[in-house]
Amino acid sequence: MLKKLLIVLVLVSALFGVEYQEESGYHLGEGTQVGSLPLYIGGYFSVDYRYKESKSRYRIDDLAFLAYGNYNKLSYMSEFEFKEFYTLSEEESGFTTNQDKSLHVERLYADYNFNENYMLRGGKYNSQVGFWNLLPINVLRDTTSNPISTDIIFPKFTTGLYASYTSFNEGDLKIDTMLQHNDDFDSDYNNYVIDEHYALGVTYSKDEFEVKLNIGMFDNYMPNNTTQNLYYILASMKYETEKLQVMSEVGSQSATDGFTTEYAAYLQGVYRLSEEHAAILRLESYDDSYNDTRDDIAIFGYTYRPLYPVALKAEYQFHSISLQNQFLFSFSVLF
Amino acid sequence: MKRLALYILLELFTSQLYATEYAVVINKNIESLHLGQIKAFFLKKTSYLGDEAIVPINLSSRNPIRISFEKKVLHMSFTRLKSYWTKQHYLGHRPPISMKSQASVKAFIEKVDGAIGYMDLKKVDGDLKIVYKWSD
Repeated sequence: MLKKLLIVLVLVSALFGVEYQEESGYHLGEGTQVGSLPLYIGGYFSVDYRYKESKSRYRIDDLAFLAYGNYNKLSYMSEFEFKEFYTLSEEESGFTTNQDKSLHVERLYADYNFNENYMLRGGKYNSQVGFWNLLPINVLRDTTSNPISTDIIFPKFTTGLYASYTSFNEGDLKIDTMLQHNDDFDSDYNNYVIDEHYALGVTYSKDEFEVKLNIGMFDNYMPNNTTQNLYYILASMKYETEKLQVMSEVGSQSATDGFTTEYAAYLQGVYRLSEEHAAILRLESYDDSYNDTRDDIAIFGYTYRPLYPVALKAEYQFHSISLQNQFLFSFSVLF
Repeated sequence: MKRLALYILLELFTSQLYATEYAVVINKNIESLHLGQIKAFFLKKTSYLGDEAIVPINLSSRNPIRISFEKKVLHMSFTRLKSYWTKQHYLGHRPPISMKSQASVKAFIEKVDGAIGYMDLKKVDGDLKIVYKWSD
């Protein structure tokens, strides 16, 4: 089964392995238009390998399809995804396999652009918090892994309204708000099960610098069928030049009776050695009071992109909880 | 030493004298634009100016005027723009359409309300409005 799937993925890569076709105007990583309809389609996939505690895991993690377009001031985006589609894990008794054939709705929303400043969105979307969560898919990240802070501070997805005001001057200023007062759309596919999420964000960018501050509150369903109000704050910064990118996010989460995550932070530097090669160093630290876990992590990574939408990534993670030390490798393509 | 200084000054003067000048031009129905808006339209951060749909037009990817525009106005290299548009595909945004010649860009801008492009300053006539100038 795994072999068949890998063959399919390799064939898909080969099919889209032409970076640029002058005749059709197709560029790998930019999707393609369906006829002359306001419909563009594309997708992405990733396979990864993990070696941890002397055990291996092979996985077809993402297999996703995108469809989007716009008509006058209205635009839409849909993304459907198989997550952890196939996993082959090494256990003491031998290898075990696991398949998840559920097709999840990752994003499904419509935008209305009033003018150059104001925009309103309705539907399910990536929570517009920090920088990492805006482009969270494997192929667009610089490492196979995600920082812990992007997983424990705020809900990754919001189902509801989103509105933003942007002013384009010497520097760009963006003020946005997220409002959810209903159940999640596809609630299995979120890091928190929520039915409320209210948040505010301010972003300022000028030349190579971008800074952002998010504050928010969401209602988390607990395993004992009760709910808990959680509050978060996240400060983010990004500095980017042709050769270097430095990005950092620092956040905290609390409940009415105190911190649930006192802090979770990362600082990541990406140095582009050439158009294809990049070296990455990420330092992370967090104190998760809710799960009583505290860890410091140093991650050394290397990414090779023969074309930008194709990524081969390797990383090694050193954890202060040494059992968590691991090696990760992934191959991902956006088409 | 004096000769060297004189030579450098002369070089600077002549390079300024013969530097090619380019212009960002728009359809005459658009009031005016500042640099922040020009960047926002070409990077598709927004596609509207009030109620008017703005249509940015690029020259083809290897055209030297486009390379100069991306470097001097957008402050982004070809490689960085490639990664930018790959990310924008995930976010549901498309790059501007491209045209092969400055004559096509000029004709398109004259004809289409809200069109914006760039070209050699010498090619600009009274049918277009200049909103920004730069030189190599």
